[in-house]
Amino acid sequence: MIIYIILLLFLLLLMIGTAIYSIVQRDLLYAVIGTGVISLILSILFLFLQAPDVALTEAAIGVALTTIVFIITIRNTVRFEEEPKRPSKPASK
Amino acid sequence: MVNMIIYITLGFMITGIFFAVLRFIKGPTAADRTVALDTLTTIAMALLVLLAFVFKRFIYVDVALVYGVLGFIGVLVIARYLEGAL
Repeated sequence: MIIYIILLLFLLLLMIGTAIYSIVQRDLLYAVIGTGVISLILSILFLFLQAPDVALTEAAIGVALTTIVFIITIRNTVRFEEEPKRPSKPASK
Repeated sequence: MVNMIIYITLGFMITGIFFAVLRFIKGPTAADRTVALDTLTTIAMALLVLLAFVFKRFIYVDVALVYGVLGFIGVLVIARYLEGAL
């Protein structure tokens, strides 16, 4: 049974790593693919936690619907997120 | 004997998932990341079927079925976007 706990922890670490990557990424297309990977691993985790119906819904919505909606949004807007502007220093008196 | 085979298969799947996520994070182009997502979908489908066998709950196979039916749509949309013809 210990190997399933190892698999669970491994999947959790991978999901957190992918989420951090997807947050800090400036290219929004890569971030959308990252949400696809997160949803995939999350569905396996739901299955581990004895919730197959939630896993089924997560699979249907997270893999297909979210990716399509976000890709259409990127198509209609811009792909690259602009760098955050640093607040300019207040002028010296 | 059966437990041994299941453990070896789980080890292979953990290795496969790890390297696919590594390719997703390192991959220099968008096509690498898209193919990594597709590979992860396939490996996850096999893993779900194996877990359905391990836990002896055959309702779990339905989740793998939904993945097999719907998993390619996201990759297809991303590929059409990269082609520029969406």
